[in-house]
Amino acid sequence: MSTVKQEGDKLTAICKEVSRQHISLYAQASGDFNPIHIDREYAENSEFGDNIAHGMMVAASISELMGANFGHNWGETGKMKIRFRHPVFPGDVVTTSGFVNKVTQIGEKTLVQCTVSVSRQTGEKVISGDTSVTLTKQ
Amino acid sequence: MNSSINDAEDPSINYSNLLVGNPISRRSYVVDRELVRLYKLAVQDKSRLLTTGSDISKVPLAPPMSISALSLRGVVNDLKIPGGTLHVGQETEYKKPVAIGETLHCEATVSSNNVRGEWRFMGVELKVTDSKGDIVMNGKSTILLPVKSE
Repeated sequence: MSTVKQEGDKLTAICKEVSRQHISLYAQASGDFNPIHIDREYAENSEFGDNIAHGMMVAASISELMGANFGHNWGETGKMKIRFRHPVFPGDVVTTSGFVNKVTQIGEKTLVQCTVSVSRQTGEKVISGDTSVTLTKQ
Repeated sequence: MNSSINDAEDPSINYSNLLVGNPISRRSYVVDRELVRLYKLAVQDKSRLLTTGSDISKVPLAPPMSISALSLRGVVNDLKIPGGTLHVGQETEYKKPVAIGETLHCEATVSSNNVRGEWRFMGVELKVTDSKGDIVMNGKSTILLPVKSE
């Protein structure tokens, strides 16, 4: 599926606006009803001053990015190591991007290692990390 | 950063008693269409679901990250994650695609547990197996729990 196999190749970026409704839906989907995510009054009295999105909700776009670029291989061989650096608030527009930083041939298989990140509209990185996927010759 | 604030560790759980290797959660879930629909809606994933099987018997697959989210559900609930907890790191390794309708068994165990200053650094190993017993996902979460009182 993927034509991204060269070091330096960029992965097709994904851009999304995070809303309170999406955070509420994610709470239902994940079972994480922590008040900082869904209780506005609680959040306004917190050090963040507002609700924040679940980290894994924001990170989902990294998996989507890898799936879009590497298809089935991502769900069968994908690895991800990420760090949650900053919170994401309702109304934030986040962009998930990445690039191939190493390609290694291992017999019939190709290991593709990528650097990925999610950034807010301010440019601040909210998630950073590495992913890899093993491609098998079709 | 997945966080909430202003609360201490849950007094009903003695977090300092959680030793490396101790189970935190063991739960089973059916990955049904509604769960996947809700998940995709929440994360604004508009891509088509990948499928497995032949043209005649194609079965849609759950998005890999929806399995990661499911693996953490038991941790959030059974560990009684207190307010103020920070989710600072996540490692995930996918081993096998998961078809919608599959039953998954999610296990979480303590991999590290140390207090430094006002924070408890806890590592949680995650393992998800399918109905055949095959591992579909391994992972590790790093969370920081506020230590206000033990």
